[in-house]
Amino acid sequence: MAAERGTAAEALVGQVVLPGDLLLLPAHYDEDAEGERLRLSAGAAPQGRLLCGPGLRRSGAGLLVTKCGLLRHRPAGGGAYWVDSQQKRYVPVKGDHVIGIVTAKAGDVFRLDVGGSEPASLSYLAFEGATKRNRPNVQVGDLIYGQFVVANKDMEPEMVCIDSSGKSSGMGIIGQDGFLFKVSLGLIRKLLAPKCEIIQELSQLYPFELVLGMNGRIWVKAKTVQQTLIVVNILEACEYMTAEQRKQALAKLSGN
Amino acid sequence: MPRTGPAGSERCARSGMPRQPLSPCVAGERLCSTEEATAGSGTYTRHGFIFSSLAGCLERKSEDNELPVVSVVRDSESQLLPNVGAVVTCKVCSINSRFAKVHILYVGSTPLKSTFRGTIRREDIRATEKDKVEVYKSFRPSDIVLAKVISLGDAQSNYLLSTAENELGVVVARSEAGVQMVPISWCEMQCPRTHTKEFRKVARVQPQFLQT
Repeated sequence: MAAERGTAAEALVGQVVLPGDLLLLPAHYDEDAEGERLRLSAGAAPQGRLLCGPGLRRSGAGLLVTKCGLLRHRPAGGGAYWVDSQQKRYVPVKGDHVIGIVTAKAGDVFRLDVGGSEPASLSYLAFEGATKRNRPNVQVGDLIYGQFVVANKDMEPEMVCIDSSGKSSGMGIIGQDGFLFKVSLGLIRKLLAPKCEIIQELSQLYPFELVLGMNGRIWVKAKTVQQTLIVVNILEACEYMTAEQRKQALAKLSGN
Repeated sequence: MPRTGPAGSERCARSGMPRQPLSPCVAGERLCSTEEATAGSGTYTRHGFIFSSLAGCLERKSEDNELPVVSVVRDSESQLLPNVGAVVTCKVCSINSRFAKVHILYVGSTPLKSTFRGTIRREDIRATEKDKVEVYKSFRPSDIVLAKVISLGDAQSNYLLSTAENELGVVVARSEAGVQMVPISWCEMQCPRTHTKEFRKVARVQPQFLQT
């Protein structure tokens, strides 16, 4: 079936893998070494439940790589493998919080540009406290922070600005002023990690409001336009700066 | 003034003399008068004359006691049309949160020369719990589905189909890895290579229709 033999997954952790590479899992994950018998019983999960993360797909006895990047491994909780890849183009995923720009109002539904292949739809009832009489005040060109409820490759994505209990929990129309810009998806994931150093250092510089969308969009608002632009430039440059270069740049700015 | 029709079929326009059988004609052409023949399929009568309503071949069937019947035939075999209540095999081409659009490929076991378009609305997918149906968990594009025609629709709309029975639903589906999936229950199918389960509204095909 596979033209080339796979290599052991543990040997490639931290190295670059390309789509089409086959990774073999250690023997104790597979009870039947012959390979491709389909196990339909409910107790088919192996002993440590191995998690196959983004960029990988299960294929027979091993994992097939579908994206190019660095292979990562987390041994906790049965183990997880995934591929860290650089990407700028966003693909809508259910549950992601994103910043969308309203492009059209069609009847009861707003059309939002989220940076994907199709515009997302947002019903006017999907805001906190919205009823048929009490419509939200949304104009074309407004920024909206919401999450996806339907996002797959076969249908148009749908967004809402309330969570499952009906509260807005920070989602909704983003206020006036501020600055919206686009970065790569990897930087967003770095900024969203808990206790991100970049954000902590920046917040000691100036106070500012920040909204991060998983589609690569960031909205920043500080007290003056100059401070806003400084924060924007630092965030854009953070992708390619090391920690020390960043500390030097911030020290220069706070010295001024 | 004499008109020259297609090669080999001249006739006089004033009285509309009989034309050669199996000669081609277009829609709107005047064939003959109602005194000489009766209108058959593919024709209509206006102002005492018989006109063609299709583009096809002219056919005259002469009977002994009555007037000959003039009809226009488009193809040598007539197209089989799905009737209300017929079980059709169709392929899903796109889905929406409210309905699925399909191409009808077979009526019963007869393949169609040109595919018709059909629609399966969200409330017609299942017989029970119609509000909780999600189209994405019942069908996906490129699935082969057995469905029943419930309405022929208007001029602009498609055939309306329904899968609200145990024997109707998805028969053949491919997983996201591209492998044909195996049904494991009436609402799930599993991929034999990646072992992932996907939701579909699976048809319970009658044993006499299974070919092994």
